[in-house]
Amino acid sequence: MFKKKDQTQKINAKKNTFKDLLKSFWIQKELWLICLVALVWVIVFCYVPMFGNWIAFFSYTPGKNIGNSTFVGLKYFSRFFSLPDVKQIMRNTLAISTLNLTIGFAVPIVFSLLLNELRNGYFKRFIQTVSYMPHFVSWVVVASLMFTLLGSDGILNDILLKLGLTKEAIPFLNKPNLFWGLITSANIWKGMGWSAIIYISAIAGVDGELYDAGSVDGLGRFGKAWHITLPGIANTIILLFILGIGNILSAGFEQQLLLGNTMTQETYEVIDTYVYRYGVQMGNYSFATAVGLMKSAFGFALVLIANKLSKKFTDMQLF
Amino acid sequence: MFGPKTFYKKSLGSKVFDWLNFIFMLLFAFIMIYPFWNQLIVSFNEGVDTMYGNLYFWPRKFTFENYQYVFQRQNLAKGALISVLRCVVATVSSLFCTGLLAYVTTIKAFKGRKFMRIIFIITMYFSGGLIPTYLLYTKLGLMETFTVYWLPGLFGAYNMLLIGSYIAGLPESLAESARIDGASELKIYFKIIIPLCKPVFAALAVMIAVGHWNSWFDVLLYNSSGKWDTLQVYLRKILLQAEQAAKLQAEQKMYEAMKNLTTTSIRAATTMVVSLPILFVYPFFQKYFVGGITIGAVKG
Repeated sequence: MFKKKDQTQKINAKKNTFKDLLKSFWIQKELWLICLVALVWVIVFCYVPMFGNWIAFFSYTPGKNIGNSTFVGLKYFSRFFSLPDVKQIMRNTLAISTLNLTIGFAVPIVFSLLLNELRNGYFKRFIQTVSYMPHFVSWVVVASLMFTLLGSDGILNDILLKLGLTKEAIPFLNKPNLFWGLITSANIWKGMGWSAIIYISAIAGVDGELYDAGSVDGLGRFGKAWHITLPGIANTIILLFILGIGNILSAGFEQQLLLGNTMTQETYEVIDTYVYRYGVQMGNYSFATAVGLMKSAFGFALVLIANKLSKKFTDMQLF
Repeated sequence: MFGPKTFYKKSLGSKVFDWLNFIFMLLFAFIMIYPFWNQLIVSFNEGVDTMYGNLYFWPRKFTFENYQYVFQRQNLAKGALISVLRCVVATVSSLFCTGLLAYVTTIKAFKGRKFMRIIFIITMYFSGGLIPTYLLYTKLGLMETFTVYWLPGLFGAYNMLLIGSYIAGLPESLAESARIDGASELKIYFKIIIPLCKPVFAALAVMIAVGHWNSWFDVLLYNSSGKWDTLQVYLRKILLQAEQAAKLQAEQKMYEAMKNLTTTSIRAATTMVVSLPILFVYPFFQKYFVGGITIGAVKG
């Protein structure tokens, strides 16, 4: 008992000297032991792959290490820009992620505002439950649903044929010019309800007295949504938008692999699928790592810039 | 909860808006539900008959054939078992370890507290990327093992912060008095922290488990031999075959007794088997994961 008290006293002294730290290795050995396990894990599974990016600057083949690989500098980085596919890949990536960041970003906000206007509590809860149903199934399932709906004997073709809008079934998933629209719709369908949760909770956090004051000032329903609710969730919107800008080069991956096929490759191939194809499937490890690294660096820079701009114009910032 | 609704003046415009909004929401619900419903009726309809199209709200030639075929394949039962096992092992181990780390990093007197937090928070901003991770797992011998499903997810920085912020909100005296009574930290974690943290653990458990249930790309990447195929990968294989319908139809001729089957109908039945468990379960866990997201939002 005396020893325990001694221990708490020592800790409460809070002198962050080196000696105290050494002592804590003994006194708090149980805690340090737990941390040791976590440390080993984090080094192996997070820091080793982080530094594993060195292969982007070396001519690496499996089995070699940093000692016996040749340093090639930025060779693989510049090779990316000299590829014939580079324009197409960048175009697809930017097009798909721009669609996600505009339409895909606005839809959950509009949805949460409309949901907020529903008066019946049960109906509202039902709609919300239904809205995030697709979030809980995998992209494999979504792809399967789309194959059935959009296939040549699917329901969409049935309707189009019946209405006489088309003479023969359209293979929607084999049309390169439809792919961006299809994948954006799929992204919205799958993610909007889930993304809306955060806005809905932000709307719930808006001070109720503001609405009372709004009524006194003669604001109508639309006026309240525009002048009170929307400004009330503006911070959330801006933060999520900054994060979204950082991900502008991540235009999705699973959905492209599942919905895309050889016929639509010219419009579906994005940076991530390209890295997978060149790195894992063809074994060009150094090149694929360089492309992936470039992507992360660019995304990081974009977040910093967006954060700066947001700080300047709206005094909202992420960090 | 939503203050304003009683204060609206019931003007004509407001009423019209209410009706339009109501109709819009019904339409919205239809768009969300119908793709699943369509798949369901296709899965219960005779395969060959489905090819004639015009199947809208109800199966035309009702049959269990598709499901019979799907369940007769042993791979499916094995895939389901592996999927369930993966969900349970990965969720429990990850929550236990991440929760323990979160607890340790909230003990104010612990000297290594800040250091551990920073080490983990860094991993939220920088990661290794696909290829270095892939090469590492190859080197560690994680390829073609079940371990690859749970070990890389044992600790999570974001979840550590979420659980940590929850623990920080608990009264400190509980752990402190147990500590003075001589309880070990592990015992405090088991007996005091875990029972008190049930809400946040439940919220995270739902998210982690759903993530593992739906995950397929890591199976493709790290378990390509098919030894540890999960349900999702099983479905994906059927999906790919559907692309080459002609090739598969030739294969179908082997099943003489099942000539009514088509790739579409088999795929529909498999899709239902893969997604129904989760579709039935998620509404009951709503309050947990909504809570989880809100904690995250307040925190972030």
